[in-house]
Amino acid sequence: MKQAPILVELWRFRGLLRSLVIRDLKVKYQRSLLGLIWTLLNPLLTVAILVTVFTYVIRIQIVHYWAFLISGFFVWNFIQRTLYHATTILRDHASLSRSVYYPSEVLILATSLSKLVEFLLEILIVMIALVVFHHHAVPSSLILFPVIVAIQLIMAIGLMFPLAVFSVLYYDLQHALPIVITSLFYISPVFYPVAMIPEAARSVYYLNPIVGVLELFHKVLYEGIWPSMTLLASVSAAALAICAAGHAVFKRYKEICVEIA
Amino acid sequence: MRSPDPGGQPAVLCRGVAKQFYLYSHRTTSLREWFIRSALGRPIHIRHAEFSLLDFNLRVDRGETVALIGPNGGGKSTILRLIAGIYKPTAGTVETFGRIASVIELGAGFNMELTGTENVELYGSIMGLSRDRLARHYEEIVSFAGIGKFIDTPVKYYSSGMLARLAFSVAVNGQPDILLLDEVLAVGDQSFQEKCFERLRAFHASGGTMVVVSHDLHTVSAFCSRAVWLENGSTRMEGDARAVAEAYRAGAQEGTP
Repeated sequence: MKQAPILVELWRFRGLLRSLVIRDLKVKYQRSLLGLIWTLLNPLLTVAILVTVFTYVIRIQIVHYWAFLISGFFVWNFIQRTLYHATTILRDHASLSRSVYYPSEVLILATSLSKLVEFLLEILIVMIALVVFHHHAVPSSLILFPVIVAIQLIMAIGLMFPLAVFSVLYYDLQHALPIVITSLFYISPVFYPVAMIPEAARSVYYLNPIVGVLELFHKVLYEGIWPSMTLLASVSAAALAICAAGHAVFKRYKEICVEIA
Repeated sequence: MRSPDPGGQPAVLCRGVAKQFYLYSHRTTSLREWFIRSALGRPIHIRHAEFSLLDFNLRVDRGETVALIGPNGGGKSTILRLIAGIYKPTAGTVETFGRIASVIELGAGFNMELTGTENVELYGSIMGLSRDRLARHYEEIVSFAGIGKFIDTPVKYYSSGMLARLAFSVAVNGQPDILLLDEVLAVGDQSFQEKCFERLRAFHASGGTMVVVSHDLHTVSAFCSRAVWLENGSTRMEGDARAVAEAYRAGAQEGTP
């Protein structure tokens, strides 16, 4: 059987993709009364703690610290959720994968998209809060919002690909991930701006691919300014490169994962 | 051995197919072991290759119904998965012509929290039914499955028979060109089995191709035109379904299957 290019193949299975996204959201929300509130409550609590600590205890000198924090926090939250789900997604669908043929990339895409829906609802509230209480106007930079969301999504998918196959091959990854996530939280500009990183350490700091994504969100949402083209171009390029490389790894191992997951 | 009508159009062509599984150690390999082994320069995977299939050939013509029989572990399900495209052959080629629907693990893809209706939509898209088609055949699917008033109940409250009926119903209503069934006919009560056979006969009459795995030799001889007896990953006998089933039964009784 000749294998079609992956994008063609995914287009052919778009109906399945759609159903899987709907399923994820339905299963999560339909039988819980407060639905989205539960998903919001946890990050909101973290946000409240961080705002209290960094406004009143360790005073980060930044205008409207709360506004800065929420501009990036939900992006971080999205990436963290997608990474966690990546470690279980193939095993959760092992029985399905052994029963019916479909490109397993669909699973990665479906998870990232259902998390994206949650993210978009959260960030909508964030944007309203920013416009009303922080900018007191609608900044023109918001036009870029769809672009930076696309970059964020592509980056997340790129990171999910290798994580998904390797967590089938090595169960350890599932245990290692929480440690990695916690470290990533501190080495990413979630609760502090990139500007606080010493100049000399910046080049190393930017090796973390999430840094650029968060910086874009800080510029567009919090500062309400257009990011430099250099930043925008380099983060886009990084996201695409990570996605392509991640998929190459995924493709190499996906068949064996169907057999042993 | 009766070979299929040489003038027929092939639906499935397996040529010299071998499938090797690595009984990995991967399953238990930990990163710790990986680090230690790579540091010591030892081989990282102790893998033990096992052939599930070896030099397997099969031609199924369009409109044919072929049964795969044989003892457990003979490679029957592996063949279905290779035809479906779920597994890639280690050697040889598998060619298929037409749209395939496979029901290999029953209920795989169902979500227990969702209702019957929601699962019909989900499973329908897994089986490759368009939303249009699904909407048109929804009533037919539900009434065929005989779920009745429970269709809006989460499927976790269904009996295994009900689940099987729903899955089967969606699969056959997708109107595939090639239908792959693994032991699916064994589920459901007598009356549902009758309905299934009727449905499958209609599928056959409309020119559909089927490859089924079954342990029910009676079904095989009554329902299939041709059978392949598989043992230890290769064909032991192939030909008229009745004859092969008979030979297999005799072999099993002698205790030398």
